[in-house]
Amino acid sequence: MNRTQKGAWCILIVSLFLILFGILLFTEIVILKNLFTSLHRFIALLLFSFMVPLFIFLRKKQSRAEVESDERDRLIIKRAILVSFVSVWVLLAAVCIIPRFIVGYTGSIPVWVLSVINFAIFLIAMFIYSTAILIQYGWGGKDGEK
Amino acid sequence: MVKNEMKNQIRRLRFENSEMTQQQLADRVGVTRQTIIAIEAGKYAPSLPLAFRIARTFGVSLEQVFQYEDG
Repeated sequence: MNRTQKGAWCILIVSLFLILFGILLFTEIVILKNLFTSLHRFIALLLFSFMVPLFIFLRKKQSRAEVESDERDRLIIKRAILVSFVSVWVLLAAVCIIPRFIVGYTGSIPVWVLSVINFAIFLIAMFIYSTAILIQYGWGGKDGEK
Repeated sequence: MVKNEMKNQIRRLRFENSEMTQQQLADRVGVTRQTIIAIEAGKYAPSLPLAFRIARTFGVSLEQVFQYEDG
């Protein structure tokens, strides 16, 4: 697995974890009106404790002379950026249309929801970006030793 | 529709050059091992500079490494 693949796996794991943690927090605090519980603290601690092994995994080289990235990596990253950019536009369009059906044309939403939406779009875009990279590499499985 | 096929002899040349590994070739031409695997499998067509670097590593001409066929 090269550095680009490792980076994509790290982004995928972290973004997926943050999306799930965000859904959990939203459900608990906003819908069920529970305060920040010890479960949330434990999950947040778990996330940060994953960071150290993730960065060690990211820094480990396949060989001493391994390059940071090459022309194929750059091509793959370029395509993944394009895919995530398109996904951001699709999500923004969805965000503009969906609230009309939920709160109506003259309804209103709290200001903090906009921040949550922006952060959610960023996380989803990162998730799509890393998934696009891994799909192009064949999830790392097809590039095995021959 | 015309189908273009680019074939290569990298695998054979690696074995003829004291069984060079994909990692060793990758390190010598300045790419990752995954790129060498993709080129060998015909999944990725390298740029001209990279193709020349691979050919020079084996000490052969470009045509001896890569062959282009119109299908």
